[in-house]
Amino acid sequence: MKARVEVLDLATVVIAEGRLDFSAAAGFQAEVEQALGGSGKAPAALIIDCAGLEYVSSAGLRVFLLAARSAQRAGMWFAVCGLRQVVREVFSLSGFSQVMNVLPDRASALAQVPRKPA
Amino acid sequence: MSTPVESSAQPPEGGGIKKLAAGLVQGESPYARRFDNFILVLIIVSLFSVGLEAIPHLPAWAVTALKFEELVVVAAFALEYLLRIIAADNKLAFIFSFYGLVDLLAIAPYFLTGLDTRFLRVLRILRVLRILKVQRRVLENTVAERTRELAHRNAALEHAQAQIKNELDVARALQIAILPSAFPARGGFSGSARMTPATTMGGDFYDFIELPDGRIGIVMADVSGKGVPAAFFMAVSRTSLREQAAHHHSPGACLARTNDLLCTQNPMELFVTVFYGILDHERGVLSYANGGHNPPLVARADGSVEALDGQGGLVLGVMPGMSYPDHTVQLQPDDRLVLYTDGVTEAFNSADEAYGVDRLISEIRAHGAGSPEALVEKIHSSVNDFAGIAPQSDDITLTALKWGSK
Repeated sequence: MKARVEVLDLATVVIAEGRLDFSAAAGFQAEVEQALGGSGKAPAALIIDCAGLEYVSSAGLRVFLLAARSAQRAGMWFAVCGLRQVVREVFSLSGFSQVMNVLPDRASALAQVPRKPA
Repeated sequence: MSTPVESSAQPPEGGGIKKLAAGLVQGESPYARRFDNFILVLIIVSLFSVGLEAIPHLPAWAVTALKFEELVVVAAFALEYLLRIIAADNKLAFIFSFYGLVDLLAIAPYFLTGLDTRFLRVLRILRVLRILKVQRRVLENTVAERTRELAHRNAALEHAQAQIKNELDVARALQIAILPSAFPARGGFSGSARMTPATTMGGDFYDFIELPDGRIGIVMADVSGKGVPAAFFMAVSRTSLREQAAHHHSPGACLARTNDLLCTQNPMELFVTVFYGILDHERGVLSYANGGHNPPLVARADGSVEALDGQGGLVLGVMPGMSYPDHTVQLQPDDRLVLYTDGVTEAFNSADEAYGVDRLISEIRAHGAGSPEALVEKIHSSVNDFAGIAPQSDDITLTALKWGSK
């Protein structure tokens, strides 16, 4: 499991790669939390890019839930994107797709970030 | 330090002079340490002076200084050599030992006049070995001391860990003990269930609930995460679900109410996937609702195996106010129903391959004709064989039901 953070103008993107199981969950969660508050100025949106995510267990799924919660508390728009088939099935089976924005890829996620009126 | 210090130095015996000599050239007393350092300085000075002598056309005063220096060094070395002979228990053995000979070599050149003995004096560098040997022993003693301290601390930690492990084992045993051991025998249905916990406390559970209207509630559930928080949340989930099951005819309504309750008692933000079915054992009808759980499999008498539809309900404990639609399936005599948690399908082997639902289906096809107990046992050993030496990372929980208990 690897995670890296990219800070863009519109959003902070956390890129998740590898297998997100119980043993990887805590590290990934720390990465997400850092993305939420680490860079000083809170970003307008948090996107978790799962294009490189190969597997997610139920404990791993919990990190997405916590991220969505934290983003909501911070007034940030939240989305996950780029889910591979096997990960998308877990999101759909658990009902997570119903309660968070799940988008096909990063471009479509960025396109949906709500713009603040100028 | 009161701990005994190992030393290669023999306890000095004999007269006072010998004791005094031994105190200076053996052992680890502060005097011996200082004496060693003094000798080390002399060795370095003398080696340095050998180098200086090699410089051609030295001024006369320098030559005189070097001669004086050599005299002092040789006198000190000779004194030390004598002290070592006095201190030694077996004097001959010392004289002919490696270090004894090195010590002799260090002073011998001075007395061998007429020869160019500069190269012999360079051999004094061998004397550094003795000092290093002493220093190493001091270092080894310090390391041994620290190792002992560490061992004490490790023992204390191990003890504390064993205590925690014992308590967790008891908690785990309690957790398993509250699960029903037998399927309530009603009508023509027979059933069997088994949970094999992973090494850490997990959160899988199954349940059979005898409902007031005579039907049987069937639960298969999996709490996210592991350890004590998951175990607690499992207990809370199971209790809430049992309580609600007695009040709701509809499985979906039961899940919705349980979900609302769990959302208010969930400080760790855990969640639980729940399949809840109500079996009308007289008509063979199973009505059910699914909160994010792997869909159970129905194996028909004709050999087909299908997953129960109606998946995709949200896991419980995340968001209140969710609804869970009811579904029904008509079972036929000789149909089997298999409920499982992802510990089965996501059991990994050492090549990181998952057991998967296909393997589960072929096991059901191959062994479905037997009793539910036998089927559960077969699937379980098939998962174990597949995983091989890879450690079991998640609880493995299975329930099999069959209409027609032959």
